[in-house]
Amino acid sequence: MANIKFTGVYKSFGSNEIIKDFNLKGKEDEFLVLVGPSGCGKSTLLRMIAGLEKIDEGEIFINDKKINDLHPSKRQTAMVFQSYALYPHMNVFENMSFGLKIEKRPKEEINSKVLQAAKILKIEELLERKPKQLSGGQRQRVAIGRAITRNPKIFLFDEPLSNLDAALRAEMRVEISKLHNQIKTNMIYVTHDQVEAMTLADRIVILNQGNIEQVGTPEEIYNDPDNIFVAQFIGTPKMNILEINEEDIISENTIKLFDNDIKFDNLKLKKSKLFIGIRPEHLKTNLKTNFTFKPEIELIENLGNEKIIYIKKDKHQLSAKIPSNINIQNSIGFDLENLFVFDQNGERTRS
Amino acid sequence: MRTKNIIIFSLISTFFLMFLISIWKILATLQGLKIQNFNLQIIFILGFLISLAHLTISNKIRNFYKSIIFSLIFVICDGYLIQKLPLWYNIGVFLILFFFVNQIKKYNFNNLKEEHSTQVIFFDFLTLFGILFFSFVILFPFYMMLVTSFKTQMALLVNPLDFSINFSQDIKDLFKSYFVIFKSYKFGKYILTSTIVSLGTVIVTLLFAIPAAYAIARLNFFGRTFLSTSILIIYMFPAIVLVIPLYTVFSQLGLRNSIEGLLIVYTATTLPVAIYMLQGYFKSIPKELEEAAILDKLSWFGIIFKIIIPLSIPAISSVALYVFMIAWNEFLFSLMFLDNPNSFTLSRAIQYLSGDAETPRQYLMAGSVVVTLPVLLIFVYFEKYLVSGLTAGSVKG
Repeated sequence: MANIKFTGVYKSFGSNEIIKDFNLKGKEDEFLVLVGPSGCGKSTLLRMIAGLEKIDEGEIFINDKKINDLHPSKRQTAMVFQSYALYPHMNVFENMSFGLKIEKRPKEEINSKVLQAAKILKIEELLERKPKQLSGGQRQRVAIGRAITRNPKIFLFDEPLSNLDAALRAEMRVEISKLHNQIKTNMIYVTHDQVEAMTLADRIVILNQGNIEQVGTPEEIYNDPDNIFVAQFIGTPKMNILEINEEDIISENTIKLFDNDIKFDNLKLKKSKLFIGIRPEHLKTNLKTNFTFKPEIELIENLGNEKIIYIKKDKHQLSAKIPSNINIQNSIGFDLENLFVFDQNGERTRS
Repeated sequence: MRTKNIIIFSLISTFFLMFLISIWKILATLQGLKIQNFNLQIIFILGFLISLAHLTISNKIRNFYKSIIFSLIFVICDGYLIQKLPLWYNIGVFLILFFFVNQIKKYNFNNLKEEHSTQVIFFDFLTLFGILFFSFVILFPFYMMLVTSFKTQMALLVNPLDFSINFSQDIKDLFKSYFVIFKSYKFGKYILTSTIVSLGTVIVTLLFAIPAAYAIARLNFFGRTFLSTSILIIYMFPAIVLVIPLYTVFSQLGLRNSIEGLLIVYTATTLPVAIYMLQGYFKSIPKELEEAAILDKLSWFGIIFKIIIPLSIPAISSVALYVFMIAWNEFLFSLMFLDNPNSFTLSRAIQYLSGDAETPRQYLMAGSVVVTLPVLLIFVYFEKYLVSGLTAGSVKG
């Protein structure tokens, strides 16, 4: 049972401001994923929670207790590193029990805790091995096991899967998800991989240059993005953003796009440049849609189960994702409900 | 192209064989064997024929038998037909030939067809030449030292250039020089002093170097870059420049003729390189390991003792070995600071003995062997620790 709260956290390295006024209130025992492009400060944030990085300004609370000045070992957090950081001179058992041994806990307690963690991660038969005798996935399991034995209030994962190959990554993703169901506690997970973020998270925090762009459940992030950055960050291929110039805005709720007059309900548009977003998977080949246009196809990538089609229309570049068994006709359609409207600053204009 | 390659191959291998046999003949002469002439032209012809025969026979006979046949032919021609020579000499020749034929066994007509094969042959034999030449250059003085130490005064005076060891004499006579230097020249005491000084230097140096290197490798403090770059500056001063001021200071402090004084000087001279070597290694230890240790509630001292030191054993042992060798072999400071034979180190003792014209040479050489041997043995033992790679497996890789 734990929750975490940030109030006005700042962090800079030299003159380089990494985190600017970071505010966030975590929910009880949720799986929080911090995601963003590299250099957005997500790892720094995690290291500040762990105590490996000083907090310049602001406060971080765990269970309403300020942890700014607590020693890293007293914050009741456990971190899983990207590079595993297993002690090479110790075997798996020693690695997992090291923290408890430093605390001088009784032997029986150490044994039972390590065995329990090993059982959860199915590494019981590896306990005698040295880290260099393990595969990448096994090493990461041991690293997670080491975190479990510390019995933390909050688990911190710093891109734990990015050193693994694609197949193993998918497998470990499922394992981590199961682990969270098994030991219900707060987990904070840093990644730059949107698939990990979407599949693991209870809530996603999207970061960009030290600012929160949006916080929400994976569904909210995907279906209701706050701005162009979030809209384009989640989803592959990324969302098509079409620039609409002033002259194409016919009235305050109607615009002209690909020779269609699109009329939005309950929307008041200013007579200035705006952006329309549409996801590639929402561009369809059947003609039962509200609007259609004639595309100029530049390239088709066949991925087996689906095709990515690169389209040129007027001055716009688009991509569309359609099932691979469907042949592209000479027209492409889309529905009104799948359009996102953003103002000229990239912020969402909601009805 | 093929013919050219075959001729070049045969020539190079023949020269290599001539080189080997010549060294063996020189060594045999030193052992007192009278060889009238080196018969280089005959060795050349034989070597050339063997190389060609090796290529022609190639895989028709098992390699082992082929080597034996060639070696026997050579031994019979060289050791019996041309000049009758003793058995031990011929066994040596046989072994050289056996080695030689095994070296050339990887060449056959097929790989000599390739255009670049002359280069490959050339560099293969160049490496072999190099190894043999340098081992000869390095081992020969040591051999001389060893041989001289086993001689009697008379044998030395009769023929100083005789490099053979007379194994037929009594074992007591053979090791007489060693008994003498330990009994009459108190070498036991010198060894003890040298050991104390060297081990003491190793311990004190490591005691200072490990925390210092860790600080330079990991901690951020004012003047860190300046400190780490200026560490090696002490090596810009030749020891002879430092020795005179140090002499006056040590005289006034009463540190002359004392082991403590030597310990201070030796530590000061070895510390920079020790720190330099260690900090390079410490930097290569992944930082995440230490961060994981911090989260495991380890203090700074705990991190150094339980994480850094166990992982740095290869580096620490090579530094220890290096410091030990410097301290053991050090001569200039011990010459300046030690006047009292009671506190002599080994190298100083040897100098003391050689300064005395009455000291027989074989005793000096026995002393030198005693000085060299411990370092040699320690090196052989520690060598396996000098291999790094202990950090493998902690991070991706």
